[in-house]
Amino acid sequence: MKLTGYADRLSVRPGETIRFHINADFKGEYDAQLVHLINGNTNPRGPGLIEKAQKASFNGAHPAQRQKIYSGSYGFVEDLPQFHVDSVTLQCWAWPTIPKTDPGYWKHGAQALMSKWSKGKGYGLFIDADGHAEFRINGQSLRSPFPLRDHAWHFIAASYDADTGKAVLYCEPQIQYALDPESGAVSASWKEKIATPAVPFVLAGSTERLDDAPEARASRPEGVVIGSHYNGKLDSPRLCNRALTRLEIETMKMGGQTSQDERRGSGPTPALSECLVGAWDFSVGIDTMRAVDRGPYRFDAELINAPTRALTGHNWDGHVFDWKQAPQQYGAIHFHDDDLDDARWQVDFEWQVPKNQKSATYAVKLTSAEGHEDYIPFFVTPWPGKPTAKIAVIMPTTSYMAYANEHLANNAGGAELLVYRVPVMQQQNMYLSEHREYGGSLYDTHTDGSGLCLSTRLRPILSMRPKYDHFLSQAPWQYPADLHLICWLEMQGYDYDVLTDEDVTYDGLRLLEGYNVLITGSHPEHVVGSQLDALHNYKQRGGRLMYMGADGFYWVHSYHPAYEDRGRGVMTEMRRCESGIRTWRADPGEYYHQGSGELGGMWRYRGRYLHTVGGTGMSAEGFDISTYYSRTQESLDPRVAWAFDGIDFDEKLGNFGLVGGGAAGLELDIVDTMLGSPPHTLVVATSAGRHTEGYLLVMEDFGFNQQGLDGTQHPRVRSDIAFHETPNGGGVFAFSSIAFCGSLPWNDGDNNISRLVGNVLDRFMQDGPLPAAPKEAVKPRGRAEYVQDIPAAPSESQPFRRAETV
Amino acid sequence: MYRIPPKGSKERERLIAEHKACTESMYGVAGFSSLLCATQGDVTEVSGGMHGDIELNRVLLRMRAQEAKGKLVSICTKIDEEWRIARLSGVRGVPPKFVDDRVFTEENEVQHAIFLMRLDEMSETDGQPEDFNEGWKRRSDNWTVT
Repeated sequence: MKLTGYADRLSVRPGETIRFHINADFKGEYDAQLVHLINGNTNPRGPGLIEKAQKASFNGAHPAQRQKIYSGSYGFVEDLPQFHVDSVTLQCWAWPTIPKTDPGYWKHGAQALMSKWSKGKGYGLFIDADGHAEFRINGQSLRSPFPLRDHAWHFIAASYDADTGKAVLYCEPQIQYALDPESGAVSASWKEKIATPAVPFVLAGSTERLDDAPEARASRPEGVVIGSHYNGKLDSPRLCNRALTRLEIETMKMGGQTSQDERRGSGPTPALSECLVGAWDFSVGIDTMRAVDRGPYRFDAELINAPTRALTGHNWDGHVFDWKQAPQQYGAIHFHDDDLDDARWQVDFEWQVPKNQKSATYAVKLTSAEGHEDYIPFFVTPWPGKPTAKIAVIMPTTSYMAYANEHLANNAGGAELLVYRVPVMQQQNMYLSEHREYGGSLYDTHTDGSGLCLSTRLRPILSMRPKYDHFLSQAPWQYPADLHLICWLEMQGYDYDVLTDEDVTYDGLRLLEGYNVLITGSHPEHVVGSQLDALHNYKQRGGRLMYMGADGFYWVHSYHPAYEDRGRGVMTEMRRCESGIRTWRADPGEYYHQGSGELGGMWRYRGRYLHTVGGTGMSAEGFDISTYYSRTQESLDPRVAWAFDGIDFDEKLGNFGLVGGGAAGLELDIVDTMLGSPPHTLVVATSAGRHTEGYLLVMEDFGFNQQGLDGTQHPRVRSDIAFHETPNGGGVFAFSSIAFCGSLPWNDGDNNISRLVGNVLDRFMQDGPLPAAPKEAVKPRGRAEYVQDIPAAPSESQPFRRAETV
Repeated sequence: MYRIPPKGSKERERLIAEHKACTESMYGVAGFSSLLCATQGDVTEVSGGMHGDIELNRVLLRMRAQEAKGKLVSICTKIDEEWRIARLSGVRGVPPKFVDDRVFTEENEVQHAIFLMRLDEMSETDGQPEDFNEGWKRRSDNWTVT
């Protein structure tokens, strides 16, 4: 893939400017063309790729420019005189994750903990390629006798005395097991004058080279390529300008709070503190991308590529679980060599969106004479208060970011058990497998195996493309799957606006008010709290919602405040906590977001049940094949019977489709009044009993493992199509399956799924309140209790009557 | 645990025939399961395969539970037209490598081809005490999802 790119925003409004960053890794030029992207699924049993060329000022040839992504997190302080020392002591706590890497690993080699070192000059504390702690002065090297243990805290310190030439290195594991070799100091005698290079002081890396190559242009500081990225946690790094004794090193662990008088006696003595150059305290400013220096010079380090913060430090005591309550126990930053916050590519062209541009799903189609091709999708969205249609589709962009550049099929041995077949990978997967610099998804683990909890949209997102089948579904997933819905709306001739998650998150009800109906995507799983607020407020005021998928509103997200200056929703954060479907699991004490400070995990465990949003909630998942629905007796209720006009009672609903071959598949939602479905919800169709054993009940629904949890056995492994009325003439229809939209365009839209959705949309898009439910439908209803229309005297032994007793 | 049926065994031949029939019935489906479609390419009615043959079920689960290193996967080399078989490296940053020159023109055909390869490659006692190694203690025992 020699042609890739991204835009500086996913959502742009008329009059605003959107900028495009392109990597064209060949000579000559490429062509850019604005298209209205309508269908991205190339399956020959469907309508095929549908795109319509649009006028745009940037259409035409552009000179090719090679751009590279520069990933890997670190902190740096610019080159300043105080870092040019004659003698030195470096010390820190380190919890390395992969101190020794496979020779084939993409960044095999030494890892720097803290350094002012480049090309054999300067000083630095490293982990060498064999996993040993290493102290470097110029070209001299001293290494610990034993390698570091992965996933274990070590205290590492080193000093060099230029007067005596003595170098000492300490590497002390926090836990010493019975059969571990004794760790001790190692020393050497060198005749070196430290040749401090004019490069930044770097935390979790060292300066590899200075140049103006594409990689260096994307680096910060620009032109300085940082290498030897460290993988693991770093805590309390200190730099002193003389060789300290072991006792002084111990005292210096207390950091930069010098003893100013008898009342403020914490920290090193005034005399000892005179040697302090920097004492970084990562427990300060956890929600920022600055590493605060509490030393005398205030050498705050700028953190690049979003390392993970709000993680337990070497001194975490297991009694506090929220970093805000005891930040001093959260003084660790986890750096990863594949962290990425912003590709930082040069702008190739930009487009000021004309004032009359229709709100729609657009993409810039890039092509070259050599046959290279890429699409950069984006959305033109209306300004708040200026809807141009009665219908709005909310494209779940936060979920697109969560799945961005996902590596599961490539890294996860168990992925095949999940999908119940051999995974089928695409060109994009192959490219990403050797271009880890494109970053991963929130489903992935980093290259060091730790959970990935931050995802940026300022990079090419190769999974958000037309003509891309995801290994999970062997069909489109997320963005290209949502185009099935767009394709159907276009086929049926509906007029609609397009919104995105970030628009709703930031603009709230002022954006939604004015639409008669909102339509979600197929899998709006990842949401920020204010988006849930907006949807609730909209529904409360008579708005109508069509929830077109499943596993929606599941994970707690927040947009990181440190990136607000680069646009809206640039960096999203999610932590996989105590339950839910977790491809990785956050460690104890690390459940709170570093950006917003809020508790992460499932909205369910924040007391915000997913079933309250669309009426149904996640119950099962499986990825092999889909199935169909049958209507229930409740579909005959006059409250909802209108939805089935033109559909016979015993029709198989959706036994066809472009995702798994049926409308009910992948992830499935059900009505559960105990988990937030309104008690008056009607289940109008269900797929119960028709799923394969590849479908399993979600783990948050049971307390212990047991047999009988798969689709051939468990009644909760099903999808429920459901309807309920909301206040002031509103209503919600849930279709409750991720595969569902894949059936809409089947047979050119002439099918019973299309008919059902059309009936619902036609009714929901009308002006004014929906027709009121029959009077007899208004009655008290319980949550667990569900037969209340038959009078029964409560008694002690039978406080209420259950259906089976009737 | 069910053993991986050795070459020449009757159960092996039976599993191969059943898996082949299932696979061919799934031609045209945008998805795949080792189940038999009553009508090829239509999953309205499925039976047999993993649901009907407990031995096929157990053997396939063992195959799917292999660790990432060396695991066989399908790679689409021409959208909706061509697929090939590759092996995962197990090392991050090192892409899968094609195992041979075969090009499949039906997406689900690869599923059976890989089934046959795994029958040849896996030991009869896969996952049993005879296979114990140091990695079982350190998360390479097919446990982790990622």
